Amino acid sequence: MVLKIFFPRCCNSADSGLLVGRWLPGQESAVVLAVIHYPFIPGQVKRYLSELQAQSQVELSVLGSWSMPKEGQEGMESFLKDLSTIFPQDRWLQLSRGAGRRGFACQLVERGGGSAQDGGDGGGDSDGVIFVHYDQRKVMLSQLHPPEGGGGANGTAEPSELRLVFQTVARSQPLFATDQYDDGPLKVTHWQSEGREASIIVELTKQASVPLCALLTWLLSLWTRLCRISLFNMWPVRFVTSKLSTCVQLSYRTDHLRTVSSPKKASDHMEFMRKANIFVSFFVDVALGLLLISWLYRANRISRLADILVPAADHVAKELQELLQWLMGAPAGLKMNRALDQVLGRFFLYHIHLWISYIHLMSPFIERILWYVGLSACLGLTFALSVLSDIVALLTFHIYCFYVYGARLYCLKIYGLSSLWRLFRGKKWNVLRQRVDSCSYDLDQLFIGTLLFTILLFLLPTTALYYLVFTLLRLVAVLFQGVIHLSVDFINSFPLFAMGLRLCRPYRLAEGVKFRVLSEEPGKPLHLMMEINPLKYSSVLQWYRTPTYSCYPKDSWVALCKKLFVGELIYPWKRKGTKTD
Amino acid sequence: MGADSGPGAPSAVPWRKVLYERQPFPDNYVDRRFLEELRRNVRVRHYRYWGVVREAGLVAQQLSCVAAFLTLWWYMDQSQLSPSTLLMAGLLFALLGYGLYEALGASRGGGRTRLADLQSAAIFLAFTFGFSPVLKTLTESVSTDTVYAMSAMMLLAHLVSFPYAQPSPPGSLSLNAALFASVCLASRLPGALHTFAMLTCALLVFALWPCLLHRLRDRAPWGFPWAAALVSLGSVAGLASLSPGGALLLAVALLTLTLLCPLLLVRLQRHKDNIHGPWDEAEIHEDLSHFLQ
Repeated sequence: MVLKIFFPRCCNSADSGLLVGRWLPGQESAVVLAVIHYPFIPGQVKRYLSELQAQSQVELSVLGSWSMPKEGQEGMESFLKDLSTIFPQDRWLQLSRGAGRRGFACQLVERGGGSAQDGGDGGGDSDGVIFVHYDQRKVMLSQLHPPEGGGGANGTAEPSELRLVFQTVARSQPLFATDQYDDGPLKVTHWQSEGREASIIVELTKQASVPLCALLTWLLSLWTRLCRISLFNMWPVRFVTSKLSTCVQLSYRTDHLRTVSSPKKASDHMEFMRKANIFVSFFVDVALGLLLISWLYRANRISRLADILVPAADHVAKELQELLQWLMGAPAGLKMNRALDQVLGRFFLYHIHLWISYIHLMSPFIERILWYVGLSACLGLTFALSVLSDIVALLTFHIYCFYVYGARLYCLKIYGLSSLWRLFRGKKWNVLRQRVDSCSYDLDQLFIGTLLFTILLFLLPTTALYYLVFTLLRLVAVLFQGVIHLSVDFINSFPLFAMGLRLCRPYRLAEGVKFRVLSEEPGKPLHLMMEINPLKYSSVLQWYRTPTYSCYPKDSWVALCKKLFVGELIYPWKRKGTKTD
Repeated sequence: MGADSGPGAPSAVPWRKVLYERQPFPDNYVDRRFLEELRRNVRVRHYRYWGVVREAGLVAQQLSCVAAFLTLWWYMDQSQLSPSTLLMAGLLFALLGYGLYEALGASRGGGRTRLADLQSAAIFLAFTFGFSPVLKTLTESVSTDTVYAMSAMMLLAHLVSFPYAQPSPPGSLSLNAALFASVCLASRLPGALHTFAMLTCALLVFALWPCLLHRLRDRAPWGFPWAAALVSLGSVAGLASLSPGGALLLAVALLTLTLLCPLLLVRLQRHKDNIHGPWDEAEIHEDLSHFLQ
């Protein structure tokens, strides 16, 4: 087995002393975390280590000795060997660095003085040891993500060596708390922060956030209790609120805020990232919403918008009227049943008439409604978009009505035709066996069935044309609403914080590592430099997307086309029942 | 037929036609007894000419029914036949036919009651009468040629799929095809009452008449050929009043169907040469007993 020693780069030029670190269980490798300098009292070192171990839950131990000869410090070899008797270990590493030389010399002393692997200057079995240098700060801060595909297997099986290294370094954060200016009993070399200038502000924010979170939680609980009042849980209210995308967005945001404002500390990395993502995206959302408000309420834009809106709705109604007049003639030279055509056309025309009068009734209030509704944008851009979606849904309600009538009629015809076609051939659908069986019908059944079949068959083109036209109109509205929903969903679920982290501190989110050869000389241990591979952007998105009610089309395209063909209703707001990560 | 006398076949061991034993013969070996089991024309039926003619009369009769229906439609379309006349005639024939049906079926016990018959009749009349204005405007915008082509296809389908062997409950497909064709044709007529009369007529001709005919064939076999001949003669005569050429064609077709085709069948039956043997697959026998001598 090759012995791997993970060595922090900051200790390269440390003074001589003891190597503190951890032997990875089950692996032939050791992680060096720090160097304790001479002079020290062995009892203090042991106490210090046990304290750290209690804090960080990492089995820290003295790995061996480190010698960095300087002028006037010769002949320490024997002293270093003696140290192994003070700190009894199964294996004792003796690393030494020659003055002015790049490589290290390494000697491994097994307990009992048995075999000694010698990677020193004198030659010997130098293949046995590999030095992996790592940047302690980056490794400590970075979060190693399991590779795609094998992620689940890695989680359940025993963690890999690399993961152990990352864990060890990250967990022994208390070890790095002392800095070189501390006047403790021990002098230690490891990675040190550059200082904490901003820490006062951070501390103040932390202090302030606790009562803020408590207040927010209280408000949220109040809001939840308000929502639970039985008046709001009655059928019509519930139905309407489940259909209005604003209400859906409201409940969604409440969930988010509840997550963020929970006073508990985030237990693991994922939860922390989730909270941070929600927090940042919430802030960006509100900032965008305020921007929108500041644009909207300046220069009388609201009233201008209202002035545009009513004529636009009027215009759509007029266009629809013309379309219906065209359909009632002989559209595109199609031969349709004149009587049915007239009946359907008049029915829809009456509907449009109703719609126009409704719009005109509403028009004096539109500006005021818009003014108040626009205020919802201060809750965030997503709210403004949801309100827009709802307004579009309400303004195209007549199209929706037409579509439902057409689809129901068409659906009735299709189902009638399909079952009567079976009767026409003398078959029937056997419900128990889920198949088509032959059946002998009575004379009167056959007669009436054929009569209806003929009638339905000849009336089908007329109904189908109306259905087609209104479905196309409906699809336009659905498409528009779908785009709005998608963008709201995007803002809700986009991991803004994780993306920013990936952009500014690529090493924080690691996907793996790569090794660079530092020096490879025959007869000397191999020196590798470990560098962190940042996570790919797509993987960041995949890992840290906030779970959300997905608004993507529920069915595949084929299923959608089939639904359209059979005449089943399609909705933009159909969401998946469960949260999807 | 296999290696009859293999070089290494020892005559001491007799060959057996079994697969479960290892025998000193090649796999494709058969001995001389193989062709002894050959039989010729085992189940060939020898038809009597007049028996076949009698059955072919049913086909001819159905064809003439279609012709008669088309003739009636033509007269209605030209307004030479008033719908009330047709309705009265239809009522008369229906009552006559019902009386005959009941008289012939007096011996049978269960089945439909008079009330059920009356109910069915009421449903027919009510639905047809109620739907006739709808049916009238149904094919307004469809081209006449399309309607004719569709009706022709459907009547052909009716003739092809008619269950000639067992016509008592008329086959679903044949009846539906005929009704579809008659609805298409009736929707071209000038008035709603015309449509109603035409559909009633179609019901009589395509749905009820086969039932009566079947009963006739079962109970009074002597009357069946006369009825078929009567229908054929009536249809030819009716067509003759419309177009003599068409009537001639129909007569020739009917004669071919009833006289020439059975003759051909009986003559060709002689040349039949079927071989049967142990190599045959299992056969499923249909009950064709009434074609037998």
